[in-house]
Amino acid sequence: MRGGIAVLGAGGFVGSRLLERAAHAGRTDIVPVVRAARSVGRTANLGISHRFGDASRAETLERALAGCEAVVNLTTGDPADIPRTTENIYTAALAAGARLLVHLSSASVYGAVEQPDLPDDAPPWPGHWMAYARQKGVAENFLRERMAERRLAIVVLRPGLVWGPGSPWVLGPATDLLRGAAFLAGSGGGICNLMYVDDLLRGIDAVVAHREAPSGFYHVGDNETITWAKYYGALAAGLGVDPETIRAVPSDRYRTGLRDRVDELKALPIYKRARAWLPVEARAQIKRRLARVRGRERPMSSAADNAVGTREIWHLQTTRYRLPTTKFRATFGDHNMVPFPVGMAASLAWLRFIGIGLDEAA
Amino acid sequence: MIHSAAPRLDIAVIGCGAAAEGLYRYALGALESRGIARVAALVDPNPVRTAALQRHFRAARTFADPADAFASVAVDLVIVASPPGMHAQHTVDALAAGSHVLCEKPMAIGAPDAERMVAAARVARRILAVGMTRRMYPCLVEAQRLIAQGTLGDRLRFTYREGRVYDWPVNSDAAFRRATAGGGVLTDIGSHVLDFLSALFGATTATSYADDAHADGVETNCRIEVVCPEASGVVQLSWNQPLVTRLRITGSAGELMLDPGRIDALRVRRGGGTWETRISTATWPSDLATRGRGDTPRTHRDCVYHQLVQVLRAVTHGEDVPVDGERGLAVIRAIDSCYERATSFELPWLDAAERSQADARHWTRRRCAAA
Repeated sequence: MRGGIAVLGAGGFVGSRLLERAAHAGRTDIVPVVRAARSVGRTANLGISHRFGDASRAETLERALAGCEAVVNLTTGDPADIPRTTENIYTAALAAGARLLVHLSSASVYGAVEQPDLPDDAPPWPGHWMAYARQKGVAENFLRERMAERRLAIVVLRPGLVWGPGSPWVLGPATDLLRGAAFLAGSGGGICNLMYVDDLLRGIDAVVAHREAPSGFYHVGDNETITWAKYYGALAAGLGVDPETIRAVPSDRYRTGLRDRVDELKALPIYKRARAWLPVEARAQIKRRLARVRGRERPMSSAADNAVGTREIWHLQTTRYRLPTTKFRATFGDHNMVPFPVGMAASLAWLRFIGIGLDEAA
Repeated sequence: MIHSAAPRLDIAVIGCGAAAEGLYRYALGALESRGIARVAALVDPNPVRTAALQRHFRAARTFADPADAFASVAVDLVIVASPPGMHAQHTVDALAAGSHVLCEKPMAIGAPDAERMVAAARVARRILAVGMTRRMYPCLVEAQRLIAQGTLGDRLRFTYREGRVYDWPVNSDAAFRRATAGGGVLTDIGSHVLDFLSALFGATTATSYADDAHADGVETNCRIEVVCPEASGVVQLSWNQPLVTRLRITGSAGELMLDPGRIDALRVRRGGGTWETRISTATWPSDLATRGRGDTPRTHRDCVYHQLVQVLRAVTHGEDVPVDGERGLAVIRAIDSCYERATSFELPWLDAAERSQADARHWTRRRCAAA
């Protein structure tokens, strides 16, 4: 291999797990790239050297990617920044002479999957209500145009919900189950398009290892078809939560609640500016007062802060079909090694490790 | 307006990074506005940082080197907020220059350095205080009272879990290297936690310790079994996991629950009954007047302010500091003892093969190989 594999967004959930697996395996070809020194903290145990690069500033990225033959983009952040950072990463990868750009998109660009055998190159749904999904779609469209130029290989992976130890898609539902706030749309028969984090990483490894990875869009997902009822049921059983406490809500319409309004407020530019301006202490005070108004003893714990929004969950629960992954497997092979029960056992072990469900009665 | 009956004191800050900016700036600003103290010198090798802080303290002179500052400005108190690896030298130099010192935690990166600091304070006959702001938490005062009253009964056991994904706005990766930081989450959060436990139960002794650091890294997860004269229990800390953060103490007659995010309240229940929330009204002096008013800290920033006032009261009135050098040294010795007995921390969600790989790369393997 000529050069290293740059991993952008190495301080996030998927990125930090990628680094951890690589470090445990003794790999030395991974070049983590993070925006700020604080992002190193999450994987400081691994003793890996990081490079610094800000995806919102192309010139810093070019230095960070120098000498890398492949670039894996796992960045998240403010939805409004996704198109610009994607453009910068593409430009920097090109300038660095990389042969391959792997871009992690999301099945959320379609909203819910509402047709069987959805083609991998189906265009994103531009009218999605969620800014994250909309902007991921914009980024995909940019990359689609660049693929036609054939200046480097671009592989766009579209996982559904990336789950496993450390995932917000485990923590959020588990927290809701323990608080009695979990719900299922209809009978919970909607399809939960899961992608186990380690299997996703094995898939990325396969793409990078492919000497002539064909540019294109690829759905990726677990092999089993799991319904939301099964997913919540397995979590509830592991946490000792009575499944009868999971509320059933209509699957044909969603009623907006307080949490959705708060989420809408948080998406406003004025909120973001105020948040950046207000000191941490003042923000904590406001959160505590809001919690009291809402009748809670205290704000949600740091664990629950990562919970996923209610409207988003409802929307996902109305998914009718499984995301087809035939194209990925035909091109790069089947690298899924973690069956659902094994992934669930690992996720529950992680939840117990962080203290979820151990003494919640208090 | 001057609230203080004592003369205004001069303060120097060594290290103008995240701790000075994020913790001390507001407290120092409040002290200046109340006429209690003045920031006379700001010291940092990076002129951008000193300039940024100087915008808030117009009268302060800026220096790149502590030696130049000590030669040019005589101050009553030096706040040492430089990287932990430099705490010892900066403290010893400040004490030799005749100043009292408030040193940020961790006091040092090893007992030999901490012992040197304590000895220097003794020789110079100056105060050495260590920044352990959690000592100012009203909930700690309330917990101490309830335990002393016997509300929990005997056979006390505790579980202290604290962790979140690291987000302290550090300016470099020096905080993540053993050579410059001494360690990871144990040195960072563990300093507070071990001191907090010692305030509740007496001196802490680690009976076992496990962490997840590789050879060139510092621990991001650790687990300690701790024995104190009045209790025993387990501490779990993390820099990369969103732990359900709380201290839970159980005894033969009742239970206590403290949440570090809520500094003025705790929950208590007796004999398996219902949980009751107690809001503490414990106060700390707000100025240097001998009969000055007291306030109950409500935020962490309040605690930084009250800690600083208490150190200045020690300088002017000879009162005790919340945590002196000897107590700080005890925490450093406890941390050292953890690292000396370190074993590999198994992360239970990894499969057996990966656990074995992680174990083989544990930092103590290199130590064993060297031995």
